[in-house]
Amino acid sequence: MTNTGMFFRMLFSAVFRRRSRAVMAVVASLVGAATLFCLAMICIAVPQQMNEEMRAYGANLIVTPAASGTDGKAGIDSAMVAHTTEMVAAKGSEKHASYRYENVRVNAAPYVMAGIDVAEVKNLNHHWVVDGAWPSAGKVMIGRDVADAMGLEIGGRITIGYRAADNAGSSTSTSAPSAEGAGAADAATEGETSTANGSQSSSANVSSSQPTQDGRVSSDIMDTSGTEFRVAGIVDTGGSEDSIIYATNDDVAKLTGTTRGVDVIEYSAGTEDLNALVASINDMTSMHVKAQPVTKITSSDTRIITMLQTLFWIVSLVVLALTLVGVGTTISSIVSQRRNEIGLRKALGASSSAIGAEFYVESAMYGLIGGLIGTAIGFGLAQWLCVAVFQRSIGFNWWLAAASVALSALVAVVASIPPVHRATRIDPAVVLREE
Amino acid sequence: MDMLLELDHISKIYGDLHAVDDLSLTVPQGEWLAIVGSSGSGKTTLMNMIGCMDTPSKGSVKLEGRKLEDLNASQLADVRKNMIGLVFQKFYLVPHLTAVENVMVAQYYHSVVDEKQALEALEKVGLKDRAHHLPGQLSGGEQQRVCVARALINEPKLILADEPTGNLDEKNEKIVLDLFRQLHQQGTTIIVVTHDALVAGCAEREIMLNHGVLVGEKWNDEKAREAYEAAGGKPASTGAQVEGAQTGETAIGFADPTKAAKTGDSLSE
Repeated sequence: MTNTGMFFRMLFSAVFRRRSRAVMAVVASLVGAATLFCLAMICIAVPQQMNEEMRAYGANLIVTPAASGTDGKAGIDSAMVAHTTEMVAAKGSEKHASYRYENVRVNAAPYVMAGIDVAEVKNLNHHWVVDGAWPSAGKVMIGRDVADAMGLEIGGRITIGYRAADNAGSSTSTSAPSAEGAGAADAATEGETSTANGSQSSSANVSSSQPTQDGRVSSDIMDTSGTEFRVAGIVDTGGSEDSIIYATNDDVAKLTGTTRGVDVIEYSAGTEDLNALVASINDMTSMHVKAQPVTKITSSDTRIITMLQTLFWIVSLVVLALTLVGVGTTISSIVSQRRNEIGLRKALGASSSAIGAEFYVESAMYGLIGGLIGTAIGFGLAQWLCVAVFQRSIGFNWWLAAASVALSALVAVVASIPPVHRATRIDPAVVLREE
Repeated sequence: MDMLLELDHISKIYGDLHAVDDLSLTVPQGEWLAIVGSSGSGKTTLMNMIGCMDTPSKGSVKLEGRKLEDLNASQLADVRKNMIGLVFQKFYLVPHLTAVENVMVAQYYHSVVDEKQALEALEKVGLKDRAHHLPGQLSGGEQQRVCVARALINEPKLILADEPTGNLDEKNEKIVLDLFRQLHQQGTTIIVVTHDALVAGCAEREIMLNHGVLVGEKWNDEKAREAYEAAGGKPASTGAQVEGAQTGETAIGFADPTKAAKTGDSLSE
C-alpha cells in the first residue's frame, strides 16, 4: 500500500467508521446547501417569473411607420414586420401582434376598425376580458363602449361602411401612437393629439376638409350603407380598446377593397434593456419605422421586479449568514472532538500541515456530500415553491448548483481550520494531558 | 560509550510550581532507565520534555548531540518520528482505525506504509489475529500491545514509555515487559516512567523524583554501571537546594516506594 492509499484509507475510516458524526457533519452541510440553493434559485427565478407575468399584461414596445416618408400610408409590410421581430427576438423572448386601423362608419357614425391576427392578439393580451368569441370570418368583436353606444349584444348584426375619403389622410394619422401610449389601441385612438378617444380622433381626421357638428360631418346621417357583420364577442379592457371594432385582417381587406401593411406592431419584449432595443430599431432609418417603449408598463415592471429582487436577496443573505454560522459551528465542534487524536498524530511525528491536509480533505468530503444532496433537495424545494406560487416549473441551473456544492465544501473546510489550527499549534503533551 | 540523551539543568516551571527542578542526566545508547516517583513528582513532565512533546522552561535537552531547543516545530516532529517510539499509559489509539492501521499510521508519518511489516510487528506482540479489530474491540492489554507495536515499527533509537503497565493486569504486564526486554537486548534505549517497583526493577538504572527534584539514583545492573562509569558517565544530579536532593556526584540510593510499602522497609538515605 502506498502512502496515498493510506491517506484515503484513513479518510474513509474516519467517514464510514464514525458514521454518526459523519452524518451530523453531512446533515449540517446538506441543510446549508439546500437553503442556499433554494433561495438562490428563487432569487433568480422569481424575477424571471414576475417578468413573464408582467409581459402577459400587454406590450411594452410599439413600432409604427415612421412619421415622414410615403411608406406611412402603406403601413409596415409583412417583410418589415418579420425583420423588426427578428431584431426584438435577438435581444430576448418576444410576443407580438400587429394591427391595421381603418376609419369606418356604423350608422353613419365614425369608428375605428382594427384588422388583427386573432391568435397573435390573443396571445399577447391575456388581460383582455372577452365575452363571447374572438373575431372570425364575417364576425367581429366589438369594444364594450361600442356595444353600449349601439345597444349591441353577442349574436347581433352590425353594418359597417367604409369610405375612402375618411381614410384619405396618412394612415399614420389614424394610428400614430402617442409617446406615452400603452399599446396599439392607445396608438390608434389617441392619434397625434394623445388625448382624444378613437371616435373623436377618427372624426377629426375625416372632417379635416368638411364642416362638422358635435364631431361628425354634416352628411353622416345620410349614409348608412356598408357590409353586415355578426357580433361574435364583446371585449372589455377598461381601456381604449373598448372603443374599437376588431375584425380579421381578411375581412378588413374585403371591406376596404385594399391590402396594405399594418399600422402598429405591439411587442412584449423580454429584453433587459428595452431602451437600447428601441434605440437600435430607431437607428435603422432605412426600415422607416419608429419604436417607442410603453413607459407606463415598463417602469412599473422594473419597479416591482427590483423591489422583489432586493427583498429576496436581503432575506437570502440573512438566511445564508445564519446557515453558514450553523454549518460552521457543527463542523467546528466535530473537529474539536478529535483534538486528542490530533495531539496523538503530532506525538507520532505528523507535521501540522499533514494533519491539516487530512482534516481539511475530510471536512471537504462532508461538505461535498452534503452539498450534493442539499443542492438536489434545494432544487426540489425551489421547484415546489415555484409550482405552488407561479404554477410554473423552473429549469435546473448547473452553474448555480456547482457554486452551491463548492461553497458547501469551502464552508466545511473553513469551519475546520480554527480547531485544527488550535490543536496543531500547541505541544502534543498538552493536548494529550487534557483527556 | 555514546550518550544518546543529555539533560543539562532542565526545569519546567508553571508559575510558582517547579514540575521538574534543575535536573541533569545522561543516558547512553542501549540503556534501560526507569524514572520513578509518586504521582505528581514530575515523571511524565520529564518524559514529555525528553520526547519533544513539551519544552523545558530552563536548561537544555540533547538527543544524539542535537540541542532540542534549537529546533523548530517541524524539526521536533522529525525527531519524534525518526528517533522516538512512544508508549502511553492511556494507550492513545485512533479509535476509528484497526490495530494494523494504527501501527501503519506511525509508518505513514515516518516514511512508507508497509502493511506486511505492520502485521509482523503485531505478530511480535502476539496480536496478529486481532490485527483487523478496532481498539474498542480490544482489551486494555491488547491495546497496550498495539501501542508497543506502533512504537517499535519504525525501529526507533529511544522508546519512551509512560506507565506502560499502569492499566494492565499481571498477565499483560508480563507480556509487555518481555517485549521491552527483547527490545533492550536488541540495543534499543528504553526510558520507562513508572511507580511500579516490578517494572522499575526490570531497568538497569533507576532515578527517583520527588516534587520535581531528583532525590535518588540506583543501578540494578552492576555491569551496566561499570560500563557507564568507564565511559565517563556521571550520576544524575540536581541544582535544587532542597533537603534530600541528589546534588553532588554521589548517587543517593533508595528503596522502591511500592516495594517499601510491601516490605515495610524505610527509604534509605
